[in-house]
Amino acid sequence: MPVASHGDVELSESSTNARSRALNQFLAGVELKAFKIAQAALRHEDDALDAVQDAMLQLARAYADKPAEEWKPLFYRILENRIRDMQRRRTVRGRVIAWMPFRGDEEEDEPDPIAQAPSMDPSPVKKLELAEAMGALEKALAELPRRQQQVFMLRTLEGMDVAETAIAMGCSEGSVKTHYFRALQALREQLGELV
Amino acid sequence: MSAGEQLTDFERLSRQALEESVLRIDGRVRSRLNQARQAAVEAASARRRPLFSRFFTLVPTAGAAAAALLVTMVLWHHGPQLELPIVAESSHPAEDLELIADGEALDLVQDGDGSGSFYEWAADQTEAGGGESET
Repeated sequence: MPVASHGDVELSESSTNARSRALNQFLAGVELKAFKIAQAALRHEDDALDAVQDAMLQLARAYADKPAEEWKPLFYRILENRIRDMQRRRTVRGRVIAWMPFRGDEEEDEPDPIAQAPSMDPSPVKKLELAEAMGALEKALAELPRRQQQVFMLRTLEGMDVAETAIAMGCSEGSVKTHYFRALQALREQLGELV
Repeated sequence: MSAGEQLTDFERLSRQALEESVLRIDGRVRSRLNQARQAAVEAASARRRPLFSRFFTLVPTAGAAAAALLVTMVLWHHGPQLELPIVAESSHPAEDLELIADGEALDLVQDGDGSGSFYEWAADQTEAGGGESET
């Protein structure tokens, strides 16, 4: 029976370290964009952070051994499921609260973190214009149907192609194209010359 | 969006605006994302840890299991030998049991093989039965 030599162990350990480094690099590359996508959908900073954190952990636990090229669509698929779960929970909670006789309106008064996005050093004119466009775009995105918002963020911000987006959204490539076309149309109508 | 695809001005400007908003994400969020990433990478590493490094954690469990198996084997082999002589003395244990259980059959066997003995016994039984019924 063959016994693993010291060299085999070193090889195995270095391979494990290489996978860990690759995973770290991948997550570092998508975490900010993923947060932005989750924030656009959930409109709540901490919920968005929780969703991204859960997606990272689930990817690491269940799919870390998959080829690195498959990580991105898988990660966004997991993230999308987490976002949907949170939205459902929020809907149920909203219905329950609506039925309560002495409910407070604290959540209604909560400021929208997207609307209150900090504007840092807007010295150049271009930056000012961009910030204005950014605010308007985020506001318009928030009003899009969920699937259109998702496809627009994945395609435009994350730069995923149609096939990857279809995997991430769990739908056909045709649906991706349709949702994307409608999202663009709706955003153009709302934003006009701003963007 | 792949490199080969042509972007419209609208798409290009939208991307620029979104990328700008990503760059403006504050330090608190970045820090929390960093922590989440480290936790995820650690979880993946723990799952992939090579068998060699897990060997030492498995040794005590494997040792205990082996010891329990050894004790079971020893008891299994030595236990039945204490009762073996009893079984060995009887060539037909099932037949002996029947004889012991049936006292009348034992008498018949002890009387020998003679079918006459049986008839004598049967006649005695009939007479005894008849006498009792008359009284």
